[in-house]
Amino acid sequence: MPLKRALLLAPLLLTLFLLQSYFWVPTYEKQSVGNPERLVTYIEGSIGDAKILNPILHADTASATIVNHVFDGLLDLDENLNLRGRLATHWTISEKAYLLVNPDNRFPDGVEVTGERLLARIRRALKDGVLSEAASNILSIELLPPERQTHTFSLDEKAGTSGTREVDVTLTIPERLRFTLREVDQDFFKRLVPIIGDRYLLHFPYERYMEFPDGLTSEQKTHLHARVAEYLPVAEHNPEILFFLRKGVKFHDGHEFDAGDVKFTYEAIMNPKNLSPRTSDFEPIKYIDILDPYTVRVVYKRLFSPAINAWTMGILPEHLLNDEAMQREMDRRGLSEAARAAFGMRDSEFNRHPIGTGRFRFIEWHSDEFIHLERFEDYWEGPAEFKHYYMRIIPDLLTQEVEFRAGAVDYYGAQPHQVARYKKDPRYQSFSTLGFGYTYIGYNNRRPLFADPEVRRALGMAINVDEIITYLLYGEGERITGPYPKNTPWYDHSVQPLPYDPAGARRLLEERGWTLNADGWLEKDGKIFEFNLITNNGNPIRKNILTIAQNAWKKIGVKCNTQLFEWAVFLKDFVNTGEFDAVVLGWSMGIDPDLYQIWHSSQAGPQQLNFVGYNNPKADDLIVRIRREYNREVQQALAHQLHRLIYEDQPYTFLYAPLSTAVLDKKIVLVYHEPDGTERYEKIYPTKSGNIYFHFGRWRKLAFTPEF
Amino acid sequence: MWAFIGRNLVLRIALLFVVSVLIHTIIHIAPGEPSQVDPSNPRMKPEDIAKIRAAFHLDDPLYLQYAYWLTDLLTGELKSFKDNQPVLGKIWRRFLNSLPLFVCTTLLVWTLAFPVGIHAAVTRGSMFDRTSTFLAYAMISFPGFVLAYILILEIVQFFEIPVIGLRTFGMESASSLFKFMDRIWHLVLPAFVGALGGIAVLSRYVRSQMLEVVNQDYIRTARAKGLEEDTVIYRHALRNALLPFITMFGLLLPGLVGGSVIFETIFAWPGLGRLGFEAILSRDFPVILTLNVFGAALTLVGTFVSDVLYAVADPRIRLE
Amino acid sequence: MTSTPVHTDVTLSSETLAPPETPWQEFWRTFKKDKLALGSTVILIGLLIVGLSGKIFTEWIVVFDTEVVRLPDKFKPPLSTPSQGIIPEQDLPALGLYLLGTDELGRDVFARMLQGSFVSLSIGFVAAGLSMIIGVILGALAGFFGTVKIFKLVSVDTLIMRFTDVMLCIPTFFLILTVVALLPPSIYNIMIVIGLTSWMGNCRLVRAEILALREQDFVQAGKALGLPEHRIIFRHLVPNAMSPVLVSTTIGVATAILTESALSFLGFGAQPPHATWGNILSDGKGFIFDAPWLVMIPGTAIFVVVLAFNLVGEGLREALNPKLRRR
Repeated sequence: MPLKRALLLAPLLLTLFLLQSYFWVPTYEKQSVGNPERLVTYIEGSIGDAKILNPILHADTASATIVNHVFDGLLDLDENLNLRGRLATHWTISEKAYLLVNPDNRFPDGVEVTGERLLARIRRALKDGVLSEAASNILSIELLPPERQTHTFSLDEKAGTSGTREVDVTLTIPERLRFTLREVDQDFFKRLVPIIGDRYLLHFPYERYMEFPDGLTSEQKTHLHARVAEYLPVAEHNPEILFFLRKGVKFHDGHEFDAGDVKFTYEAIMNPKNLSPRTSDFEPIKYIDILDPYTVRVVYKRLFSPAINAWTMGILPEHLLNDEAMQREMDRRGLSEAARAAFGMRDSEFNRHPIGTGRFRFIEWHSDEFIHLERFEDYWEGPAEFKHYYMRIIPDLLTQEVEFRAGAVDYYGAQPHQVARYKKDPRYQSFSTLGFGYTYIGYNNRRPLFADPEVRRALGMAINVDEIITYLLYGEGERITGPYPKNTPWYDHSVQPLPYDPAGARRLLEERGWTLNADGWLEKDGKIFEFNLITNNGNPIRKNILTIAQNAWKKIGVKCNTQLFEWAVFLKDFVNTGEFDAVVLGWSMGIDPDLYQIWHSSQAGPQQLNFVGYNNPKADDLIVRIRREYNREVQQALAHQLHRLIYEDQPYTFLYAPLSTAVLDKKIVLVYHEPDGTERYEKIYPTKSGNIYFHFGRWRKLAFTPEF
Repeated sequence: MWAFIGRNLVLRIALLFVVSVLIHTIIHIAPGEPSQVDPSNPRMKPEDIAKIRAAFHLDDPLYLQYAYWLTDLLTGELKSFKDNQPVLGKIWRRFLNSLPLFVCTTLLVWTLAFPVGIHAAVTRGSMFDRTSTFLAYAMISFPGFVLAYILILEIVQFFEIPVIGLRTFGMESASSLFKFMDRIWHLVLPAFVGALGGIAVLSRYVRSQMLEVVNQDYIRTARAKGLEEDTVIYRHALRNALLPFITMFGLLLPGLVGGSVIFETIFAWPGLGRLGFEAILSRDFPVILTLNVFGAALTLVGTFVSDVLYAVADPRIRLE
Repeated sequence: MTSTPVHTDVTLSSETLAPPETPWQEFWRTFKKDKLALGSTVILIGLLIVGLSGKIFTEWIVVFDTEVVRLPDKFKPPLSTPSQGIIPEQDLPALGLYLLGTDELGRDVFARMLQGSFVSLSIGFVAAGLSMIIGVILGALAGFFGTVKIFKLVSVDTLIMRFTDVMLCIPTFFLILTVVALLPPSIYNIMIVIGLTSWMGNCRLVRAEILALREQDFVQAGKALGLPEHRIIFRHLVPNAMSPVLVSTTIGVATAILTESALSFLGFGAQPPHATWGNILSDGKGFIFDAPWLVMIPGTAIFVVVLAFNLVGEGLREALNPKLRRR
């Protein structure tokens, strides 16, 4: 029967054909040994794919990794977490301070204020040594003539307008004094009080200097009034940064980098069409001046010391993304009128074929499969040792491990239990370093149950954090006591962590009126101590902490129910609305000491980051002073005070800072080229800040395992 | 005939519309927001979030959002929330990745299931029948991902050969024959694991269909005529037992879309299933919606083709 | 899992020979000949008992505590004893040893498997039951009132069957995933979602059966006697149409248990404090090198129970199919 034979032959032939392909595939052994290219190829395994390869638009870690290889910022952080020049060789920070001449005011001796008199009096005081603190800082003083200016304010619903409305207000800016200061001084105007009087800064009659268009309601006028006062304060600090750019730096397409690219990058971020997630970092900038092709002046609207850190962000090539380039792209892609109108940088194909000045240039990207970079031979710091860089997307943790052990991946984010295993294996070198993150249990401070700091302290004391670190993290974590990353100078190491003391915790709660009932739960006024502890789905360690905390609290008589929610739901329904009792979460902090968004009481509204509703006026004051301070030592002292204050309040139970762990083949080393042409190898080491990639440009894989 | 096809097409397009409205409603009523709106970036301000919401039309009424989706889809300018890439292009690229895996799995299922099922039916109650029954059910009873893990671990251990992903890394300079065979090898394991369940189900189905037919009078007649057993089974019985499989073949196509999220995840295969899964996680509404509608469209096309084929193949059915 | 078993369209033959024995006796005679199905039934009964005792001994009378965390005793292999002196007295496991080992938090896997058996089985039963009920009701309505028009526009049959088509068009696993990802996570939602997305097969089966039975004499007789329609449908037609549904529901239980484990793999399964076999398995998969029993034990349990349901379903199919019976 031919049909019978066909039915039997078909599966046989198919199976044979499929299986014979085995003989064509190189084994792992052949891939790594028989292939010299493999030694100059670095393959990183990633769980998720990158989303958008643009330094001003990306918001995920995979994109950040690639973008950091392809783009350079003006600055970056050196081995000790200080700023260091990259595309900028060096920079200076100074200040221009403006003081409005207020003719309504009188000097302390009763004389009416005019611009000339004010200037003369300050000059005299400087000469007489009355303003000794300010004197050494003032480089020059000028009196600026009045000027007329039209400024556009946009009004929204809050001002009683339906929808947004643009209003042009004509301002007659009165005479102003301009002080050029050597250094930024947040107390500069306070130092002038002996001359101008202590009431000078409080009031200014803006209404006399504004002209509105017709047809505004009085509500809108009041609103505009406030906006103008914000735009034109009586006393204004304008910090200035002067960046001196590196000469001869080339983009990957050969175009030379200059000041225009810096200014363009800033403008692209602020362009509302681009929806950049970094606008708030750059919002304090008043304007950017190009002094010459290699000098840029950045002028800030107000005191905000962390602002300089934003310049570690990659710089975009203006010639590939400006309006003309966009126009060309739209023409090439033949977009419709509607699409053209909405076209922004987010839509550009640049984001999938980025071109920067970085150490590696982009080659290709297969979505959810891999991203391939190649070293940039004309890199200003010299080419990297690795020739190829791949990011392979392997979504499953177990198969990542399989590929790593087979040598088909050089690096992946190993879990603590895996790291513990690799540490015993002589083939691998492993690094455990402090990063910028920490994990905590946050209590909703608005809930009466958690309003008392002592109750929060008791809950913290019931949890054995050391046991979590030892067994859950296999030692890959360190205890923390406050809101700053442990490897920054802002962290106060003298603050001691809460002790593990369930009996003490019970005592604290009993002092607060909570007594054990017959069922073994704590009870007060007929209500048992019960709440929900929630966290997001998909993080096994947080899930385990949930169970451990529940179990630990059960032992002191606190009833805790646990729930996991998918990330988007978790944020939208619980965190952003403040509708939760307690959460297990983690922060990944920045390098700067600014804690405004997480801890300032003004940031406790819906969708804001102080979702636990922490509110302490003393802390608010410290937070504001820290972000206005430009002197590092002073900042450090203030940060230590803030750290201790938050520790005393225990709005979170600060659990631990996870160590970032990296496992690498021992064959990967740092390569140094000696003047005589030989090579010297050194073991890879983490910098003081915990970064092992600091010398990534020198990394290479050797054919043998070196001994150090 | 043409009237039948025309009426059928209209009906199916109407169905597709209902399906898309249904999915659109489910996605938008359920909680959760596109991840762009809630990035874990501490510097994101409410104003920025409002801007993004406006750009995605998230605050418009549902019917308007649906209209935006439909017009964008029809003009080909539908963009993903996640990376602003055209949705159709994304789906097309993933479709090309999924296709070889799908074809390979289907071939394995259909070529293996028939001989096994027929033989089991012919020798009903025999050792072979009982073993294949047991094995078939054993195969569909195993949690697929455990099986996949065990196979991966064992194969990597014994053969020291890559099995994950679309291809071996670092073969750029190899000849195209090697590259082709390498791609085939990477298909083998995921296709085999994905096919197991299908083989089991289909071989059981073939068996029961054959048993139905074998008891019919005309088979008895054929046997009585003294025809050879093989001729009876393969010429007379099989042909009649085959008819219902036309329907099944039509239902195969949608397997392309949603069928393999887990295997694609385990084998790091950048296919449609993972695209959809990641879109769900990041609430990439345009991608979820388009992909589901794409899946529904495939089902409708599949059933349409099988209806027509069925009518052509089965003389008892007449198209009105 | 990736593919759901397809149920055969078994149509009852219309020949009505007087049976020499009651249908039940005949069914049992055929069924018990199938040793696999019989063995599976025994296993299933055993599992039901285990499941019930799981509920009793882990929640009502706590003999096996599933929640006690003993971090120093994590990853103890099966049959090992607790570390002396480190674990506090009140935290020791019930029998003084870890029958099936401990997981990454030092919880007793035996206790968790016991608790999970109840949850997993109830997910299976509730989901399959729901899908059966919806399928039977819609199928019976479509089959019986096939030609009745609503508002003189569409017939009931068209309406229901088109809706079934719509549901069939949506990729099921995607739909489950979307809904489960979006709803608050609880085992009830998982049961409901699996049930709501799997009734279409049952609906079609019942409709086909009813269409065939509708014109038969006993229905006509019922109508002639003036019996109310709901009585005819649910007392006379549905019981006669149930046998294929019974088979597909048995297999549906198995499928639901597998679907839950697949959802757990993707992180959308039942949430703690509910232990299910699926989430014990998916939590354990990351530790396959460190603690293989965390994969093997729940994996085997799922395999055995799903296989048993499938084999019982197969046995039922054979025993209930009149064409195959008399051979």
